[in-house]
Amino acid sequence: MSEFLLEILAEEIPAGVLPAAREELLRKVSEAFAEARLGGELAVHSTSRRLVLVGEGIADHQPDVTSEVTGPSAAAAYDAEGAPTRAAQGFAKSHGVTVDDLRVAQTPKGPYVVATKTVPGRPAVEVIAELIPPIVSKMTFPRMMRWGDGKPLWIRPVHSVLALFDGLVIPFSIFGVETSRTTFGHRTLAPARIVVVGVEDYFAKLRAAFVEPDAAARRASLVAQAGRLAAEAGGEPAADEALLDTQAHLVESPFMVRGRFDEAYLALPEEVLVTSMREHQKVLPVRTDGTLAPHFIAVADQAADPKGLIVRGNEWVLNARFADARFFFEDDTKLRLEERLARLGSLGFQEKLGDYLRKTGRIQELAERLAARLGLSAKAPLVVEAARLSKTDLVTDMVREFPDLQGIVGGLYAKREGAPEEVWQALYDQYRPASADDSVPRGDVGCIVALADRLDTLTGLFGLGLVPTGSKDPYALRRAALGVVKILLDRKWRLDLPVACSDALLLHGSLPRSRDEVVPELSAFLLERVRFLLERRGFRPDTIQSVLTTDCYDVADAADRVEAVEAARSEEDFVRVSVAFKRIQNILVQAGETGGELDPALMSEEAERALAGDYLQAKGMLDELILKRDYRIALSIMASLGPILDRFFTEVMVLTDDPAVRGNRVALLRSMRDQFFRVARFSEIQA
Amino acid sequence: MDLQTLIHKLSEFWASKGCLIEQPYDVEMGAGTMHPATFLRVLGPEPWASGYVQPSRRPADGRYGANPFRLGKYFQYQVIVKPSPEDIQDQFVQSLAAIGIEPAEHDLRFEEDNWESPTLGAWGVGWQVLLDGMEITQFTYFQQAGGIDLAPVTAEITYGLERLAMFLGNRKSIFEIEWAPGILYGEVRHQDEYEASKYNFETADAQLHQMLFERFEAEAKRCLEADLVLPAFEFTLKCSHAFNVLDARGAVSATDRVGVIKRVRDLACRCAEGYVASRERLGFPLLAKPEAPDHV
Repeated sequence: MSEFLLEILAEEIPAGVLPAAREELLRKVSEAFAEARLGGELAVHSTSRRLVLVGEGIADHQPDVTSEVTGPSAAAAYDAEGAPTRAAQGFAKSHGVTVDDLRVAQTPKGPYVVATKTVPGRPAVEVIAELIPPIVSKMTFPRMMRWGDGKPLWIRPVHSVLALFDGLVIPFSIFGVETSRTTFGHRTLAPARIVVVGVEDYFAKLRAAFVEPDAAARRASLVAQAGRLAAEAGGEPAADEALLDTQAHLVESPFMVRGRFDEAYLALPEEVLVTSMREHQKVLPVRTDGTLAPHFIAVADQAADPKGLIVRGNEWVLNARFADARFFFEDDTKLRLEERLARLGSLGFQEKLGDYLRKTGRIQELAERLAARLGLSAKAPLVVEAARLSKTDLVTDMVREFPDLQGIVGGLYAKREGAPEEVWQALYDQYRPASADDSVPRGDVGCIVALADRLDTLTGLFGLGLVPTGSKDPYALRRAALGVVKILLDRKWRLDLPVACSDALLLHGSLPRSRDEVVPELSAFLLERVRFLLERRGFRPDTIQSVLTTDCYDVADAADRVEAVEAARSEEDFVRVSVAFKRIQNILVQAGETGGELDPALMSEEAERALAGDYLQAKGMLDELILKRDYRIALSIMASLGPILDRFFTEVMVLTDDPAVRGNRVALLRSMRDQFFRVARFSEIQA
Repeated sequence: MDLQTLIHKLSEFWASKGCLIEQPYDVEMGAGTMHPATFLRVLGPEPWASGYVQPSRRPADGRYGANPFRLGKYFQYQVIVKPSPEDIQDQFVQSLAAIGIEPAEHDLRFEEDNWESPTLGAWGVGWQVLLDGMEITQFTYFQQAGGIDLAPVTAEITYGLERLAMFLGNRKSIFEIEWAPGILYGEVRHQDEYEASKYNFETADAQLHQMLFERFEAEAKRCLEADLVLPAFEFTLKCSHAFNVLDARGAVSATDRVGVIKRVRDLACRCAEGYVASRERLGFPLLAKPEAPDHV
């Protein structure tokens, strides 16, 4: 059993692609080793310039493989004298055996010639030398590049490939780079060539050359340093797991420094400071008792900063960025948001859907209409004001500089201008929820504006036929749809999706696709997000399916029903009912006839009369309960019919020969089904 | 190190690496990439290596000289080497030492930053180079220009001279950079920044620039039909600048913008095709020199 080491040294690989690249390399090589019968355990490591695989317990040599191959039939393989024919000779030759090695075996088709073929195993070094280059050179990255003569295509230029099997170089090349036992240390701290004899030696020598190949070890070191540096300044680093992951992928030698910025900048909105630190400079903010402190912690690909150059540089940059932000803030706030409206006319939203001024007009109208539909007309003046200002921050310098702060900047500016709380919060929160885990806007006004904005985008793009397909969703319409659904769910707002979509679509004027095409398609698209969100809340997929297949386009109502059905599923009688309904569905399909009115006179069986009696009594109550949307009690009444249904099926033959009796029974079942399926299609529920 | 010494050191360094030191192009442009020494020379199979300063005009970025970090015109030091040598990153790191930055004492990082120019039909892959957290350089491997896939590939290194000079001199404002001993950047350029902003934002005659755009475009097309690639490209650059002035003046609506950018890109793509064809007719003369790209 042997050890294996592969290091691909390249120019700096983007931090964002490293996690997927590590996973792909590890998976593909592990699969290839398994398929080549080499076995062993592989692990992956990486730095900003390296992808590394280490393996242990790998076979030195593939085991031989013996297999049996069936050839021509015995009759075709041997002539009358029992001598092998050309067919037998050809078969033997093609499998590398002699005709004497062939034998005849009985198969279901009769006697056939069989050859026992042995493929001898090859040395692992040879096998690995063949399987690694195609895996590495065919790795896929979101944005690939060519270099030099323009032939290679990878994420970044490859400089060296180190490949050892038990200390011996595995000979192959990738993009013309021959393997060797050498690599290089840290780019600036130890750039010299390093000769490696094995896995342990590799790690020891790289660590001595200021390279920590283990990303988890780098991350742990960064966390410890950040904690210590922040504590020295009396605070703690902002908990930001994603940023720490990125920082660990940005360096080979994990080092952190603490810097200060001018306290005067703390007067700027905290959102601006934090975004600038995290997104632009990729440094960790520091908080003291929850309040932003004038410190930050920056990552460096270094081992030390004896002259304080790194601290000074980072401080200089951050102070410059904040000065820039302050300049934007002061400059932006010279104009009121109101005064920026006209400028939205030269900011394009979508080529065929016009500019943001037109979009603003549509959002405003739609928001007002939605407020009325939601019974919130009293909020209409605030909704209209918020909708009108909602996009004005897109033409501020601050948002041009910090696009992630769209909405937030508008909210902050509106607050400064003295806008009512519900209005500035609506601006601030309008892009929420950003994901399934994010919360929805704080108030009614914010939620209505957010709904209107997204419905406008969705109907416009669906109207143009720009519907997401597969992984392609350039306008982030899935996220927009998720936002619509999540707001309706969280606020428990009753809004019929096709109606809301029609409202929004009408405001676009003429679009290539008609309302009859767009509204059903978009409603179905939105329902998919309902399914997704409800599944995340832990409801069983078949429960959700049972409700969504009832043409339920009211999200909050669907959620109520799903919740009620899910709760009812623990009741024994309910299970009976859902089983019975599968049967009812089958019978109705089989019967294929509409059946007429129920006629008590045609009921001959006791069980039949009992069911009809109980059902008709329940039906009246259900009508009322469903109207009141009291689904729990409705379901419990339905469940109470379980035993009588069971009895009915045990004692009564529905599809009898007498057409009148049969029609009457079908009519009873159909009526029950139609009534019960107003809540959920129970036949969808798995027992 | 003052600004003029910085430029001098960079030229000296890249000349020592075999780059031809060229001069700024005398047509207004938004970036050193638009200099024919880059945009046209990256095309086709001929090797090329050069370095030059290019004043870059971005009318919409002007701030009347009031923002310490923003300029409507600034200077780029542009280095291009085709085909990209294997040690181009090392050469770049050495260039830092040449301007007084000892890389081992700093945090030097290459962070992903891909470049794209819709007006030029060009894009590349690379990094922003961060020195102690400060972006000092854009490093790009050109993948496409004028809509043409590039092979061999050119490495492009663009130093932001003002930022570098601010950093090296630890200045808090661009205008406080020492241009030469005893004279500051602001003393040389502040009036220019103020007046250019005043002109581009408030004074420019939008109708004139609209008309210029149309006429320059027509002239570029005429040149292309006459197989005059370089004049056609100059008029393309002039179109691009007229568009930038209109944009700063707020005279370009969003729908126009997409259309106008496409018109400039179409010209740039035709120039690129025309350039490759003209070099081919000449037999790609620089390919013939076996010693290229050492002093092309």
